[in-house]
Parts: sequence; structure tokens; C-alpha cells
Amino acid sequence: MSMKGFDHGNRGVGVRDHQLILPSVVCSTRVSSRIAKEMSAVTFAHQHGCGFIGNDVGRITDYFAALANHPNVSSTLIVGLGCETLQGNELADKLLSKNASTNYLVTQESGGVEGTVNLGISAAEELRTKYPSPEVALARLHLGIDISNESTKIEELVVALTEVGVDIAVAAVHKNSGLNFSDLMEAGVHVILSFPDENQPASGFPLIPTINVASNSPLHLALTNDFDLTSTATTTEIIEKIYEVVNGRLTKVEEIGAGEIIAAREVRSV
Amino acid sequence: MSSASNSLKGFARSDGRWGLRNHVLILPLHSALCATARKIADESNGAVAVSHDWSGEADADFERIIKTISGFAANPNNFATIFITIGTPNELMIIELAKKLGLNKYEVLNVAQLGSMGKIADVGLTLANSLVKEAAAVDRVSAPWSAIALGQECGGSDALSGITANPALGVASDRLVELGSASVLGETTEILGAEHLLAARAITPEIGAQIVEAVARYERSINYEGIDMRGAQPSRGNIEGGLTTLEEKSLGAAKKAGSAQFSGVLDYADQVPKSGLYFMDTPGHDIEQLTGFAAAGINIVVFTTGRGTPTGSAIVPTIKVATNTTMALAIPDLIDLNAGTIADGLKTLDEVGGELFDLILEVANGKETRAEAGLHHEFSLSRMYNTVIR
Repeated sequence: MSMKGFDHGNRGVGVRDHQLILPSVVCSTRVSSRIAKEMSAVTFAHQHGCGFIGNDVGRITDYFAALANHPNVSSTLIVGLGCETLQGNELADKLLSKNASTNYLVTQESGGVEGTVNLGISAAEELRTKYPSPEVALARLHLGIDISNESTKIEELVVALTEVGVDIAVAAVHKNSGLNFSDLMEAGVHVILSFPDENQPASGFPLIPTINVASNSPLHLALTNDFDLTSTATTTEIIEKIYEVVNGRLTKVEEIGAGEIIAAREVRSV
Repeated sequence: MSSASNSLKGFARSDGRWGLRNHVLILPLHSALCATARKIADESNGAVAVSHDWSGEADADFERIIKTISGFAANPNNFATIFITIGTPNELMIIELAKKLGLNKYEVLNVAQLGSMGKIADVGLTLANSLVKEAAAVDRVSAPWSAIALGQECGGSDALSGITANPALGVASDRLVELGSASVLGETTEILGAEHLLAARAITPEIGAQIVEAVARYERSINYEGIDMRGAQPSRGNIEGGLTTLEEKSLGAAKKAGSAQFSGVLDYADQVPKSGLYFMDTPGHDIEQLTGFAAAGINIVVFTTGRGTPTGSAIVPTIKVATNTTMALAIPDLIDLNAGTIADGLKTLDEVGGELFDLILEVANGKETRAEAGLHHEFSLSRMYNTVIR
């Protein structure tokens, strides 16, 4: 089966062509969302980047770096505030050593909100012009499977996927799909196949197309329209769906524009 | 205690509290519903929404989280709240709790009943627009000073914070407290080193001891993790702004509370009494504090800043006061009032404190803050426990 991809340089070949506007602190999430909206880029709200301590500083920095280096990302614009713990320029330096298609802005040095939004749009446009993403074939698919529903059986699926040459990462540590998605993102998967807990709705991750497979729980039956596949989907149907999504078909969660990031923390904020 | 005000006007709520805004809030009770809530708010004629990362888990922070979300819904600045829920018992508990806290008008949109996010977005938009219209038809009426519940906040502090903006806020806070408003100092981690001075101003020794204990308890909880909290304070941004020590930062931060006596100590997101000065145990993290204030029923916030920050709340007007003129001029679209004029020798502390008091009254009466105009609707759930192992 042929797979369409986008050449994202050192990030690898992705199945989506997303520019990431990355707020390095909660205080710049609004500015980031304005830039992202203007550029049809991806961003997300979060509560990290400042008032944190201990291992969490390194943990969240690494998490943001993994987001910015993800193969589905074409280029990254980091938007910081200026006085926060996690300094945008240091994050940018860390990313630039791997990917030149990275830039950063600091609101406190860019004339405030309007100044940063305007500079941000120009910077994002420049990144797009300078770093186009030629369409190429994806040689090998890296699939993440979220098993938040413990009754899920995937043995047959894994065998079939392995036979067609798909690399698989499984995340089953958490019953919360959002935390499993984060683990899979850090593993660099192109697409996520999610089996949410019976009492959880369909959900997704901002940069990674997420295919939701329903169980036969009352909640999932009531929400059939939000799932890509029902509990009766066969292995063949699941694999067909994965290839469709790889080749550009939007998942239900992508259609809604949903997808949150849930980044774990060790210590309370200070 | 509560005297009548000739100039303050607000929205009277049925439980006796007052709104200074008349918001229609779209409140998702699950992280997976946040995008739909944002979509409704974005497409509506002025409804607001918040996003969060809680997915219904009943872990060690469960009580703190449901207290925060329910208190936020019940804030008197909300004319109406539209809850978006998948209908789990944990989510329904939030709605019940909000009712006990004085929740105004509300609607519940259950995804499982409506069948899909798309349906929620359609039904939610129609509902939100009809409530926005209803809210706009309500007139403000004369309100007593006790209608104001002021939150004090500082973020991105610098060497002038303790000399200009914070003491100016102290002047305004003292006047409000004297008139019968409530005023709340938070940021437990940022009074570390100054707690004894605040404790000495408590109306009873017991309340003083509670202030000291709140700081000690916070420090213990961080030390327990094997981390020295004093290592993170003052922050790098503070040091670049000219602050030298934790004590200097804390002594400056404490100036926000003026010189009034402390009438009590509140836990995070505890409901604020009608009148008097209180201390609330909150993190210094700007948005966790702001969210906790909103959940406590605080209906207006003054946020002093040395480095400049754009953040705000979806439902609580947040007035930004600059500590220095250089920053106020460099990033003007974040700042509502420049207290740097004190350091410039152009105005006295009392003059700027008076300007701030007047601005609080104007904003209470409906004047839009910079953060409101920019639609800065940050929201953070404050957790106490490790989520890595969840």
C-alpha cells in the first residue's frame, strides 16, 4: 500500500503538514492561538512553563522539544512571554541544533500583544516560504496504539500490522488516553489508534491524527458519530482506515478540530 | 459595616452576591469537550469558554478540582453557565456542588444524550446566543460596596514592584476594605519570608498562626519532594528585573495587601466572605491563582506586573498595573494603569492609589480592561499531587 508523506527534513517524513505555534508558557497561549488561526497552524492551550520546579522543568522542556521535533511538524514558531522559568530562546536553541526551521518570539520584547501577533505572522510565513514540505512517499509507518480500555484485544491486529511492515508503539500505562497520547507523541508516532476507556469519549492529540475505536459501552454506543470505527470493526477494516487516514482522510477528531495536550507533572506549582 | 455606594452598579444575584459582569460561560466538564466549548464561544455573540486538562479522573486532587470548576461556574459574574458533559457521576457532582455555591442560571448539554460533538456545537451555539441576548437585556442596579470582592495578584515582579504598583494596590485595597468590600491576598509561595509581618496584622493570634502555617505547609509539601522551594524564588525573570532575594520579593509582594487587618485565612478556592481583608492559600503560578480567585467568587482582580503580562480570566476583569514606565510604554496594550509615575517622581503613592481606586470602580461598572478586550481567557486547574504516575 502506498503512503503519502511530507518531507520535514531532520524531523523525518510526516503524514500531516502542520506548522506548530508553540507557546512556551501559559501566558502566551492566547497570542499563539491568534497567530495559529491566521496561519491555519496548530497550537494548543496548556498551563506549563512557569511557576514550576524540580524535575518538571526538564520534563516539560523535553516534552515541548518532542512536540516541536515531531515528524508531522513542518516548522515551529515558539512564542514566549519573557520572564518565565522555561526560556523560549533556550528551548529554541535546543531545537535549532536539530531543525533549522525553528524561530522564536518574546512578547515582552516585541511591543506587546499586537506587536507579537504581527511579528509572529510574518515569522510563521517566512518559515513556510523558507522550508517547504515536498510530498514524498512514507517508507515506513510508525503507529501508536492507546489502550485505555483494558478489555481491548490487539494481538491479531498487531500480527497483521507487523506483516504489512508497520512499526508499533503501545501505550497502556494510563486509563487516561490523554496521558497515553503524550507518551506516544514522545515516541514520534505518525498516527494514533485509540481504544478509549468505556467511560471516556473519543479524543485526540493536536499534531497526530487519532483514530478512535469504540467499545460497546452505553456511552460509546450513544456517541457512535464521534468514533471512526465501531466495536465490531474487523482487523482488515481497522488497517484500511489507518491507510486512509495516513493518505489524508481526516479523523472525526480532526474534523471537529479537537485535541488537547495533557502533560504530566511531578510537583505542584509554586 | 457595608455602606451604600452612590456610584457602584452591578448585577444582583438571587443568593445576595453581586456580579460585575454578566457573562455566559460555556464550561466543558471533560478535556475532550473543550474544543467544542471553544468553538461555541468563538462563533457566539460574546459567550466565553475555558479549556482544561481534567478527564474525569477521581485521583488525589479530585476534591480540589471539582471545588475549582464548580466555584468557577458559580462565580457571580456569570449570568448563565452552559455545562457540557458526558454525564458521568463525577461531572454531575460538579453541577450539584455549583448549585450549593450559588450557581445562577444554568443549562446542561449532555453529549451522550445529544449523540455527538457536532450536535453539541449546534445546540450550544443557539443556546449561547439566546442567553447572551437575555444577559444583555439586564440592567445594572445600585450596589453596596460589599458587592466588590477584589483579588490581589502580582506576576513578573521587578525591583519597583514593592515601591510603586504593589503599595498603590495596598492603598486602593485599604480604602475598599474600609468601605465594606472584600479584598484577598494570595500567592503563598510569594510571601515566604514576610509571613510574620502579615501574621502580626491578623485580628486574632489564631488567624496570624494560620497565615504562618499556610506558608510552612506549602514549603513542607515542596521539601517533601526533595526540592528547595527557595531555589525557584525569585524567578529568573524577577532577577533580570532587579530583584535580589526571596525576602525582597516577598516583602514587596505583601505590600499589595495595604495595612488593613486580616480577618481570616481561606484555603484554595474557598468562598470569600462579603467584607474584610483575607489571605488565601494559592500557588504563585499566575493562572492557577487567578482561577482559584474566580472559583472563590472574587469578581474583580488587580494584577501588578514589572515585566508585563497579557493574561486574564474569561469571567473576572483583570486590571494590569505596571510597576515601571519603561515597560508601560514598551508594551502598552497590556497595561491599564502605570504606577511607574511614582518612581518617576511625577505622582505620589496616594495619588496613584487613588487613581487605581477610581479605575477599580470604573471597571467594576463595566469599563473593559486590556485583558478583556484581548480575549485573554487563561484557565488552569491547580493540582497538589504527581500526575506522572496517574
